[in-house]
Amino acid sequence: MKKQKMFFRMITASLIRRHSRMLVALLAIAVGATILSGLVTIYYDVPRQMGAQFRNYGANMLLLPDGEEKLSEESAERAIKAIDKEKLVGAAPYRYESVTINTMPVIAAAADMDGARAASPYWLINGDWPSADKEVLVGKTLAATLGIKQGSTVNVVYENETAKEQADKSDESKAKEKDGGKAFVASGILETGGTEEDYIFISLSDMAELTGVKGKLDAVELSVSASQDELKAYADKISGLDIDVSPRLVKRVTQSETTVLTKLQALVFLVTAVVLLLTMICVATTMMAVVAERRKEIGLRKALGASNGSIITEFMGEGLLLGGIGGLLGVVFGYAFAQAVSMNVFNSSISFRPLILPVTVVISVLVTGLACLLPVRNATDVDPAVVLKGE
Amino acid sequence: MFFRMIIRALFRQKTKMLMIAFTIALGASLATAMLNVMMDVGDKVNQELKAYGANITVVPKQASVLNEIYGLDKSDESGAYLREDELGKIKTIFWAFNIVDFAPFIDTRAKLGGSEVSVVGSWFDHHLELPTGETLNTGMINLRSWWEIKDGCWLDEQAGDKNAVMVGCVLAEKEKIKANDRIKLTTKHGSEELVVAGIFDAGGDEDERIYAPLEVVQRLADAKGMLTSIEVSALTTPDNDLARKAAQNGPKSLGAADYETWYCTAYVSSICYQIQEVITNSVAAPVRQVAESEGAILEKTKLLMLLITFLSLLGSALGISNLVTASVMERSSEIGLIKAVGARDGAITMLVLTEIIITAVAGGLVGYFAGFGFAQIIGHTVFGSAVEMKPIVIPIVAVLVVFVTLAGSIPAIRMLLRLRPAEVLHGR
Repeated sequence: MKKQKMFFRMITASLIRRHSRMLVALLAIAVGATILSGLVTIYYDVPRQMGAQFRNYGANMLLLPDGEEKLSEESAERAIKAIDKEKLVGAAPYRYESVTINTMPVIAAAADMDGARAASPYWLINGDWPSADKEVLVGKTLAATLGIKQGSTVNVVYENETAKEQADKSDESKAKEKDGGKAFVASGILETGGTEEDYIFISLSDMAELTGVKGKLDAVELSVSASQDELKAYADKISGLDIDVSPRLVKRVTQSETTVLTKLQALVFLVTAVVLLLTMICVATTMMAVVAERRKEIGLRKALGASNGSIITEFMGEGLLLGGIGGLLGVVFGYAFAQAVSMNVFNSSISFRPLILPVTVVISVLVTGLACLLPVRNATDVDPAVVLKGE
Repeated sequence: MFFRMIIRALFRQKTKMLMIAFTIALGASLATAMLNVMMDVGDKVNQELKAYGANITVVPKQASVLNEIYGLDKSDESGAYLREDELGKIKTIFWAFNIVDFAPFIDTRAKLGGSEVSVVGSWFDHHLELPTGETLNTGMINLRSWWEIKDGCWLDEQAGDKNAVMVGCVLAEKEKIKANDRIKLTTKHGSEELVVAGIFDAGGDEDERIYAPLEVVQRLADAKGMLTSIEVSALTTPDNDLARKAAQNGPKSLGAADYETWYCTAYVSSICYQIQEVITNSVAAPVRQVAESEGAILEKTKLLMLLITFLSLLGSALGISNLVTASVMERSSEIGLIKAVGARDGAITMLVLTEIIITAVAGGLVGYFAGFGFAQIIGHTVFGSAVEMKPIVIPIVAVLVVFVTLAGSIPAIRMLLRLRPAEVLHGR
């Protein structure tokens, strides 16, 4: 009991008395632990954060009708529900119909505008996204051909098969049908560099009103924040739902994402490994320098009759205490650093991983302990008389 | 005398000085490795992002209008074409070095048995001799890296597979085509007997098409030397305000100085503009899906690496200055002795500083090369290519090492100078 008390007094006294040097050692350990916990947190968070960036490439999964029939809205909804909510970045149902504008045949894509915006973040709109009824987006090439500008009124005519037949019968009713088109306002011109530039985008409800048919879809574009394997699992799950939906992966996006993301992760991993290795050695040398300069003290204690074992235990105790405190400080600063990085780079916060705490403390204690052990053992091996004499 | 003292000091305390040099070398190598990787990561990731395929498409000027007028059927054979003989010129533009891959396309419709299919002609792995005397291998093998070959293999254009095709998996299933089957494609201009080299799964519309060498489809469409589009994959700089301004109002709207900057920066819009200059009657447009996302990912990666580099620089700086402080402070008795024999403060400071700086320079040199080695390890393992040596890293690391060593030793020396020699020597 008494011995233990003395042990603690010796450790704390030495830490407090020699505050400047201990501060140096503590700082070294804390810096090392900060780098350790900060980088490991970032390493684990990079795939999630970077994965979200890759959603800029747009949809990575398509839901298509299984067979010739169109997709019903209910089965599309059921299929979307099969995907975990937090993984789903955007879901955009599409329905394509041929319409005519100024007697020119055009493909009209009916879409859920909010869904399209989330699923295709790369769309560039000159103007505004449609927000009210009767507002449409017009593809750039189409707009150039038809001379449509932002704010222009577009008259869209839909002729279904029966109307066409009737129209053929009499010119009069044909003319009437032409007048029956609906007027829309082009709220923006869409630029993508792809085929979308040839289409006109209408909201689903406007399309239902225009055609008189509701709840039928041609495709649903899904942007899911998941790896290729996870996507395949989702696709299997949807196929097993017993609805007439056939899920397909957009290979171009999924395959390339896997390639690039694996590389990025490997990069951060290697960088983390190199930085950690060098930092740990750095911490160890600093600790060794701090302990080595206390050879005299060791010699004195030995001369007073302390056994090698008790000296090593005491020094180790001191080192472990420093390692523990430094590790704890490092966890706090490391988390702060990781948070700062995440906010700056990805504009999103990082979650604290409880596992980091014990790992960081254990590693810093280990490194400090090892770094103390070497010089202390060297010192205890020496004859106290030689050490005290200052050789 | 001064030199003798320094040399003696360095040699007498060999182990300790070695340890300091070792720590400085570690810190310097960390800084070198991270700076080198950080400065090169943009180029490397940009190269990786080429997996997404072309970021620029070039189409004939009239086609964009004609296709609309003639309806939605893009396969209509009327309309303007691009010229095949101008393809090499793409590699002669100002940013030619940034053009990684490109491939021409020509599409037509042909009869396969009873049904009509879409046939696309292109380069698979084309060997191209440029007007500049360079040679280049380019084609779909690079631009369609996500294609999965289900049966057979890629069409080997250079091995002389002139009469081979690749068939999309959806079409192959419908028509029951396997690799090495013979198929016959007929158009009103003639017919071709072709061997199926492979079946691919592209996960898109392409699965319903047939891909054949360029000449085969040109013969089928009776369009010798003509193309319907070109896909170009180029390394680009992420857009900034200037690039956006140029894209929105056209390059002509920029002032002379801005125009120069814009033209001489590898923005996707300026590369498009330069391609239009060399290919007659063409419109080159960025594929926003690829171009936009590339920019975002590049910026994020660069920023991430910058912050990690910052942390490791800070870490190595603190590590070095820490050790230097510790090692200077432990020499209190020595400094006390020198003071007792009558040395002035200035002389002592000079002595200690020179010692430390010599150690630091030696450590820093070793560290620079070790760090460069680490950077190469990272480059080769992750990207399979060497990390470029950036000369700017050398002064940065040098300044860092010297500054940090000074910052670590000066406060310690000043503290020691305040001590009274008698006390220090007495062992307090």
